[in-house]
Amino acid sequence: MNARTRQLTGWAALLASVLVCALGGWSYAQARGDHTLSYAEARDAALTDGRRHLARLTTMDGKDARSVRAGLTAWLGSSTGALHDRLESTRKQDTAALTESGTTARGKVTDAALTALDERAGTAALIATVDVEITDRGGRPGTERKRFEATLVRTGDGWKVKALDALPVGGGA
Amino acid sequence: MTPQETGGTTTTATGIEAGTEAGEPAEEQPVAGEPPPRGRSNLLRVLATVSALVLLATGGFLLSEGQRLRDTPATANRALTDTEATTRVIGDVSSALAKVFSYSPHDTAATEEAAKRLLAGEALRQYAALFGQVERQSADQKLTLTSQAVRAGVTRLSGDSAHLLVFLDQVYEREGRAATTAAAQLSVTARLRGGHWQIVEITSR
Repeated sequence: MNARTRQLTGWAALLASVLVCALGGWSYAQARGDHTLSYAEARDAALTDGRRHLARLTTMDGKDARSVRAGLTAWLGSSTGALHDRLESTRKQDTAALTESGTTARGKVTDAALTALDERAGTAALIATVDVEITDRGGRPGTERKRFEATLVRTGDGWKVKALDALPVGGGA
Repeated sequence: MTPQETGGTTTTATGIEAGTEAGEPAEEQPVAGEPPPRGRSNLLRVLATVSALVLLATGGFLLSEGQRLRDTPATANRALTDTEATTRVIGDVSSALAKVFSYSPHDTAATEEAAKRLLAGEALRQYAALFGQVERQSADQKLTLTSQAVRAGVTRLSGDSAHLLVFLDQVYEREGRAATTAAAQLSVTARLRGGHWQIVEITSR
């Protein structure tokens, strides 16, 4: 290799490394600014949070007044907006009624999917199937299969349930 | 070419690189033919090499970081992010379920034909188990079943595979009796075959 070739090779290598760096920067900037990524992450977060909150909202330990109070506190923690307000306003009656009935329910989400997601507005619609194992005071356990539709809202503390409806048959499209 | 000439050209080469890399004015280049100051030319060569390596490393790092951001499990799942594909799979699967879970004693062939076309693999066997009873009753009691998807959501979607949750409303009609309505919830796995989504697995929830 003579000097001329060495010189050219040196230049070429330097130019190539500049190009690689520029390409890397461009590729990284593209990925960073990609709307799809943040949308996909919001979708996964909403689904995960929604499943967890739905399981909590279908669970209640009716053993005594203390466990009922703890259950209602969990319900309030999983809800926001209209549902939260309603649970808050009926908290006293709910505590009394649930303690008296003594029914224990354990909800398990068997499948769930988002049907809509508005990342900018921070709202999502979720459908889910829940197996609720219900035990009356001293009674035998029985499992109820339920289907729900929930409206989720993004809060400072993750996605929470704003509205929850057990979808009745013929609930309409 | 004499050794001296070679040395002179080499110096010029590193001189140019130095001008780019270290911002040195061209006037400082040694005149061709003069013996090069060895230490300086070596230093410049090292500087050029180091900067090339730094640029390469930075570029490589940024490329792999960008790829990492792009290739998260979140983005690999195209449910909802790809609106068009999501709508299509919901449409295909909803209409397939409506067809295979609708039955009339006068038109059993249509349901059978639809099942063969729209279901495959494990789903065909599961379908027989889920539906066999209804089929027998249908013949005996002149039962008509109409299913309609009322809600559907996609949990996972890739190029040719999808997982959905579908809520069905089913209306049973017996001749001479009032219709009854029942709910069914199905977790469905579908595969894209020949441009159409085919159901390969059904789980009743």
